[in-house]
Amino acid sequence: MFGYVQIEKSELLVKEYETYKSIYCTLCKTLGKEYSVFSRFILSYDFTFFAALSMGVHDEKVCFKKGRCTFNPLKKCVFCGVENEDMKKAAALSVITAFYKLKDDINDGGLGKKLRSYLVYPFFARWRKKAAKKYPEYEEAVSNMSEMQEQVEKDPMCHIDMAAEPTAKMLASVMQLQGSDDFEKRVFFELGYHLGRWIYFIDAVDDLQKDKKRGCFNPFLKLSDYEDGKEKEESFRQYCSEVLNQSMCLSYNAYNLIDIKRFKGIIDNIYLKGLPVVQRKVLFGKGEFNNEESL
Amino acid sequence: MKNPYEVLGVSENATDEEIKSAYKALAKKYHPDNYVDSPLADLANEKMKEINEAYDTITDMRKNGGAANSSGYSSGSSNSYAGYGYSGNSQFRSIRMLINSGKIQDAERMLNNIPQSQRNAEWFFLNGMVMMNKGWSEQAYSCFRQAYTMDPNNPEYRAAFNRMNSQRAYGPGGYDQRGGAGCSCCDICVGLWCADTCCSCMGGNCC
Repeated sequence: MFGYVQIEKSELLVKEYETYKSIYCTLCKTLGKEYSVFSRFILSYDFTFFAALSMGVHDEKVCFKKGRCTFNPLKKCVFCGVENEDMKKAAALSVITAFYKLKDDINDGGLGKKLRSYLVYPFFARWRKKAAKKYPEYEEAVSNMSEMQEQVEKDPMCHIDMAAEPTAKMLASVMQLQGSDDFEKRVFFELGYHLGRWIYFIDAVDDLQKDKKRGCFNPFLKLSDYEDGKEKEESFRQYCSEVLNQSMCLSYNAYNLIDIKRFKGIIDNIYLKGLPVVQRKVLFGKGEFNNEESL
Repeated sequence: MKNPYEVLGVSENATDEEIKSAYKALAKKYHPDNYVDSPLADLANEKMKEINEAYDTITDMRKNGGAANSSGYSSGSSNSYAGYGYSGNSQFRSIRMLINSGKIQDAERMLNNIPQSQRNAEWFFLNGMVMMNKGWSEQAYSCFRQAYTMDPNNPEYRAAFNRMNSQRAYGPGGYDQRGGAGCSCCDICVGLWCADTCCSCMGGNCC
């Protein structure tokens, strides 16, 4: 959806990196197989994380298989967990969230974006229909988010916790479904809630300048009137960093309570290195980070 | 019961040292302090108990059935998180009880019914607890800060405020990423060393 949940490549072992890549490739392949060749373009890091975490927790066997990349037949790939249920879920979620993101763009994007979105709309709608049929619970969670978000943005009393609630709740309820018992369900809910918050906030910070120019809703807009000096801007960024740190920390604490059976190195890397690096780039790096690979 | 070695994630041939360090790492992870304000406090507690038992079982087995070893970290403090504070007001006392038993919505309703004029430091503290349980950490932060400002001598409020600050200052695992223009001790040393190298390479030994 947004692509902020990334690994920090330099800190991974080579074998872990290879595994991560194979999960990524398999999600791409699954998208192609379940939906259409073009749906592969909505592949994102966020749902690679979702797939890795789900497969990491569940007991089902994960097979590795060699194959070739569809887009570059010269490149050999390793696939991991083809036909795995969690992989299919990750693909379905990608499709459903991509559809609602598109709808959102149509509602408040710029003219160019609107036109582009209209062009691909029928395809996205068809994929979503297929995914929703198979996983109605995901469709419900994401459509609830979209509705809630609309309401929240209209509320003049909206504070940032309220603004983040729809995204957080969506990811929480989606994650909760991955838990196999009561313990895991509760932990996954917490994990998803705070990770959802983190994603929402990092996206909001990243889009702040754009939203300001266009007059779109942004939860940080009220707090970011720092026209009058560099010092203010510095303290605003510091504030954002604190908000993000806390969400990351709470999600990580929840994650610590789950028994991870495989891919622990990768998921740890994302939490401890990947997210902080992305956060630093967005907050203190130059220009926009915006990962536009997901349309 | 689970295999105690599996619980600690070590092999059965591990040395005592390895077992101890594995146990310590896990105990640090599940430590009640990490979950004080979290709705997962009871689950962390369960985990803590599990590793304590596993560690005790292993040490007992290795001592050939020696007396029960209870060097474990305490795991009991987290469950009573909102319970230890003294509360003069009976309404606040029942709100604490509601929070303790996980009835967050009821606690929130009661807190909202308390008129503005009676909202003292304790009200803000309890409201912070409720917000934290809902996952609204920004609201919680401002509540805890308010409670602390109104009554800085109360150890309970101070502890809550400090906990929030440490979560906000550091990322998970103590990974410092406040980033930006930082200059750590190490940077200074490296800087001096570079300067020294440059100086001596030009011939003059200035420092």
